[in-house]
Amino acid sequence: MSENEIDLHAITDGAAAEASGVLHADVLVALAEAQVAGDEAALVRARRGVVGRLGSEGLVDAAAVAANFERMVRIADSTGIPLDAPVNAMTGDIRGDLGIGRFASASNTAEAGWLARALGPPARSALLGTLKLVYAVRSRLSPR
Amino acid sequence: MSAISYTDAPVRVRDDLVASHRRAWERLARPGTWWSGSERVAMAAEVRNAAGCPFCRERKAALSPHVVSGSHASLGALSDAAVEVIHQVTADPARVSKAWFEKCQAGGLSDAHYVEMIGVIVTVVSIDSFCRGIGVPAPPLPAPEPGEPTRRRPSAARPERAWVPMIPASDARGEEADLWARSRTGNVIRALSLVPDEVRGLKDLSATHYLSMDEMMDLRRGKGTLNRSQVELIAGRVSALNECFY
Repeated sequence: MSENEIDLHAITDGAAAEASGVLHADVLVALAEAQVAGDEAALVRARRGVVGRLGSEGLVDAAAVAANFERMVRIADSTGIPLDAPVNAMTGDIRGDLGIGRFASASNTAEAGWLARALGPPARSALLGTLKLVYAVRSRLSPR
Repeated sequence: MSAISYTDAPVRVRDDLVASHRRAWERLARPGTWWSGSERVAMAAEVRNAAGCPFCRERKAALSPHVVSGSHASLGALSDAAVEVIHQVTADPARVSKAWFEKCQAGGLSDAHYVEMIGVIVTVVSIDSFCRGIGVPAPPLPAPEPGEPTRRRPSAARPERAWVPMIPASDARGEEADLWARSRTGNVIRALSLVPDEVRGLKDLSATHYLSMDEMMDLRRGKGTLNRSQVELIAGRVSALNECFY
């Protein structure tokens, strides 16, 4: 995978972290998983892994980001907000391939119209520039 | 009130993070918009208490939380409806539904009381999660401050598709003009806008934990030692583990 390719499967499958194309993804995902689970033994290993690769500053930064999203998911789920329209239009294909639509809170968002769905992926490409998101090919080859 | 300190932590915590956590604890202790300082701190205590609630554990393990009957192991300072919201949103947020929300309202929680309560819950959840991540005990809760809630409801808030009224992106004006600039916001920010102070608290914590609204728009922007891909990978993984579609 090139430096400009990110495989998104690590979001829904932690085991895919190492091949994601994101630097040190394996230790960052391990920390995120242990922090959410509150598994102390896993946390000890995960902290050691992050500090070993990114230093203690990296551990603080990563723990803070994970904690931030423990907050955001609860706000989103408890208020019933739908996805923002541009995000809905730009990410329908990705969400479909990652299987995120099975989450209960998906029912808070109506499917984007055909025009938005058609224009969404090109708009996403323009926004991301040379960064390429990989999601469909692997899920089709190895359905999970 | 003793301020949050991480001086005994095994790693050095950035000054901006410490400062934002201290501000969050100060806000928590003060009277809010709809709840008193005592009630806000009682909610925070109930958030922590939810971790050991056998009823929450049983419900989370069940195929559907609605098939399990029983009651929460609560600290007894809040109404049953308040305890239900705190425990469910803390322990099993992915399975809250509009019907559940309406039942909580029928139990005596107004939409504004509910929104402020969510703001308190998520503040405590995120600071405690950070502490778990770096390996320090969660900080003691602050002592509540006396005083009355302001009971100010923003006139611009109105019903949309979400369960709670929100201030439209283009309508953050007057006393709410500071909430976001030039319609640059997202639904997850607007979600708490029925209680504008909770949006201010959310923005303050998010800017140090993650990125400010302006930084978010710049896709090259990372956080500290992490590049943007690393930041978003952590964000996405935490969201997926919590089964959050948003």
